[in-house]
Amino acid sequence: MSSTPAQVLVAVPAYNEEATIEKVVSRVWESMPNFDLLVVNDGTRDNTRRILENLGVVTATHLCNLGYARAIQTAIKYALACDYDVLITLDADGQHHPEQVLALYDETISCGWDVLIGSRYVGTKDYSHSPPGRRLGMQLFSQLVKFASGQRIYDTSSGLKVMRRNVFEPLAQSLFVDFHAEAIVYLIRLGYRVGEYPIIAAERTHGQSMYSFLSHLKYPLKTSLLVLLGLIEANLRRRRN
Amino acid sequence: MLFQPTSTLEVILPLRAVLVLDLMGLFFLIWVLNLIRHGRLYVGYGVIFIAAILGTMITLSVPKLLLGVTHLVGAIFPASALTLLALGFIVLMLLYVLSQLTLVSNRLAVLIQELAIERSRESARTATRYIDPAQQKNEDDNSFR
Repeated sequence: MSSTPAQVLVAVPAYNEEATIEKVVSRVWESMPNFDLLVVNDGTRDNTRRILENLGVVTATHLCNLGYARAIQTAIKYALACDYDVLITLDADGQHHPEQVLALYDETISCGWDVLIGSRYVGTKDYSHSPPGRRLGMQLFSQLVKFASGQRIYDTSSGLKVMRRNVFEPLAQSLFVDFHAEAIVYLIRLGYRVGEYPIIAAERTHGQSMYSFLSHLKYPLKTSLLVLLGLIEANLRRRRN
Repeated sequence: MLFQPTSTLEVILPLRAVLVLDLMGLFFLIWVLNLIRHGRLYVGYGVIFIAAILGTMITLSVPKLLLGVTHLVGAIFPASALTLLALGFIVLMLLYVLSQLTLVSNRLAVLIQELAIERSRESARTATRYIDPAQQKNEDDNSFR
């Protein structure tokens, strides 16, 4: 193992998060002073951009809204271009506690995970405290991932992930609907080690979700189709290699 | 009971219909050519439309060809066969246009991402609390030489 300390990038995709972004950035800086921070401003229309400028945080600004998947992909491409070893993604709405990230990072390095997901459900394996719609979606996608990859992932839609450099390229090359179930299946089928680590997440109190009402209806169908395509793509890629 | 045509003459389109359809074809042909001439339609797309319009006009104008096409698609009347072919063409074109639109959208997204990355790298270089790891690694490597 190299003695050089790993270069770590914390990426926060943000879309209209003026109420929480300042606090999230401050908490990341406080809890992870040795990690670099990149906020991906995904074409925000509120004051998020101005707040980020005032904070002096490194920001990758999309000229228009490209969606969560593209925002994450921008962070991955940035990490690739700047030669980072590890990328940590967390939501800008304040749901994730940056203080928990270090434990996740340590677990990734010590156990050799390629992707480690900060999971709200793996600890209790219980979805009952979630709203009915989300509970149904979580169970559906968890089963879908198990069916497609053979591995049970309890929290497929968590925005808190730690990724090592070796997954940057496959993730930067493919387009996913939002880097959730379909990306997990794709990576597992390619032979990467994907795991979960229990975290506690707060409920969103401010800001606007990246998902519109219509996308909530389309989401299960799109994800299911992309899981299938991810499965095919991973098998083809494995054969090519 | 299904209607069966009693003679070949019944299935041929009336001359007026052929004339009207040919005139429509001619109008579309001139329109497409004009769009290409003014750079408002890509030549590649124009060729598809010109081929389709000319093909339809020739099929309409040659009764034997029209009957052949009608039998080929399993229709009783030429109008039904033409409608079926037109629907097929519309679906094909819609799919093609949407795929081209997706392609353009993807290219635009990549462009926006690259622009965002370049700008953020530029701002990162000037930021006080940030050192580009790629740059730092190169500097570390150089210091050993």
